[in-house]
Amino acid sequence: MENFEFLRNVTIGQYFQGDSIIHRLDPRAKITVLLILVAVNSFILSFTGNVLLLSLCIALVLLSGISFAFMLSGIKPALPLIAIFALMQLFFYGDAYPPYGMESITYWRWGMMSITNGSIQLVVVTLMRFLEIFFLVSLLTSTTTTTNIAYAIESMLEPFQRLRLPAQEISLIGTIALRFVPIFAEQMEIIMKAQASRGADFGEGGVFQFVKRTRQMVTLIVPLFVDAFRRAEDLILAMDARCYTGGRGRTKIVRFHMGRMDYLFIALTAVFGVLIMVFRDHFPV
Amino acid sequence: MSTRGRVIIQVNDLHHTYLSGTPLEVKALKGVTMEVYEGEVVGIIGRTGAGKSTIVQHFNGLIRKRERGRVVVDGHDMADPSLDVRAVRQKVGLVFQHPEQQLFERLVGDDIAFGPKKMGLPPEVRRERVRWAMEMVGLDFETFKDRFTFSLSGGEMRKVAIAGVLALQPKVLILDESTTGIDPRGRKELLSRMLNLNREHGVTLVFVSSNMEEVAGVADRIYVIDNGRAVMHGTTREIFGQPEALRRYGLGVPHVSAVAHRLSQDGIPVPRVPLTVAEAEEDIWKILNS
Repeated sequence: MENFEFLRNVTIGQYFQGDSIIHRLDPRAKITVLLILVAVNSFILSFTGNVLLLSLCIALVLLSGISFAFMLSGIKPALPLIAIFALMQLFFYGDAYPPYGMESITYWRWGMMSITNGSIQLVVVTLMRFLEIFFLVSLLTSTTTTTNIAYAIESMLEPFQRLRLPAQEISLIGTIALRFVPIFAEQMEIIMKAQASRGADFGEGGVFQFVKRTRQMVTLIVPLFVDAFRRAEDLILAMDARCYTGGRGRTKIVRFHMGRMDYLFIALTAVFGVLIMVFRDHFPV
Repeated sequence: MSTRGRVIIQVNDLHHTYLSGTPLEVKALKGVTMEVYEGEVVGIIGRTGAGKSTIVQHFNGLIRKRERGRVVVDGHDMADPSLDVRAVRQKVGLVFQHPEQQLFERLVGDDIAFGPKKMGLPPEVRRERVRWAMEMVGLDFETFKDRFTFSLSGGEMRKVAIAGVLALQPKVLILDESTTGIDPRGRKELLSRMLNLNREHGVTLVFVSSNMEEVAGVADRIYVIDNGRAVMHGTTREIFGQPEALRRYGLGVPHVSAVAHRLSQDGIPVPRVPLTVAEAEEDIWKILNS
């Protein structure tokens, strides 16, 4: 049975009102914490390190009061792709990655394919690292409005304005892109329903009938592009009508203040990051 | 007026929740019961967010999953998992708000032929269907069939989009706010063409609208939807004779009906609830002459 509810699958970029500690943090603090944790994420390859980081991410999600199951459901559309990558890593990366903290053991070998404890570790660790990033980004967007994220990015980029970096424009582009994700999901749903109403069949043909499935997409993509251009032109007009002239000399109605809680969060994350980095070569596995 | 044929769409105690099980869930329908008879024009009115669109999307199987209730369309129970939904969609055509946004083919004729082509009809039959559909919406076949879709005016694009649904030759045509955003003359023309479709070709019309004047001009019967329930139903005259009740649901009545209501409140005997300016004129002459 077809399901046209696309918004169900878009969990990244969806803001949920709330009053948790995470919601109340200064958006700049949240982005800083995110950056620190993403940096940590990209350095740890061990089981132990990732278990620690993943636990922290899950704790943060629980702290935010956002439904854990709902957040996880956002991964569903990406599952086939993740599965393909995982299989490729499992079979083809056996020799490229010696296992971290363990003696190398080969379980199976056939031609250029092999499964070693190194490739198994790689698959598990990659999956955990993916989940960590996914949780962190979802958490930021679901507890912070896009406007606030934009203000925060702008304010964090401000020091670079001396180097002629267009901070305000960069954050504006980001906001617009994020803001349009749910709009296009909704528009896509309407167009899909309209085409189905006049005989289009979506989801027919197996996963591997690429030509057939691509053909079906044409009836969606053309109207979606037409709509996107129309909306872009409307947006230009609306900005023009409100005398938008770029970021120079613009003042803001909302000003953020970093409080004790914000510094505390950043400090704790930084300590966590430093500890993990220091001990990363001493974890057992 | 409404010669009651057999029931073509039967809705019983229908419930629907959008995005159920997520933090964004919205209870859109909370027990709607209504029916549509073959050959009539049914109006569905209600304020924004009342659930009108959700109801009509059940009529052609765009929404089928539901927790409670039953929808039977032309003898098919929509909950039956073995049901061929595409066959139902050929019987029940649905035109959305701003239907011109669904066009995708380069040429007008090809776009209208999309539905018949998907049905697997032979080219000659397809051509006839396209010709008929274009005639029904008032586009000349020879002039428009080879025009570029995206070079048309907004009103013409909308006609093409409606023709695209009509080319399926549905028994029931649902217009979900499909006349909003076009100029009054185009709107009037489109309405009279749709009425013609009903009178001459027996197509059942379901007319979803928030424009009372428009509904009054076309509908035989009206359902008032509020907060996910069908709260009032009756003939168009019955419904628009109750301005206080409608006001409770955030709706008004056509200006002429309101004037008649005021007159009768002032003790002037008004013979009926007028629905169009012509009817009101007739009634007022009667009152003045008596």
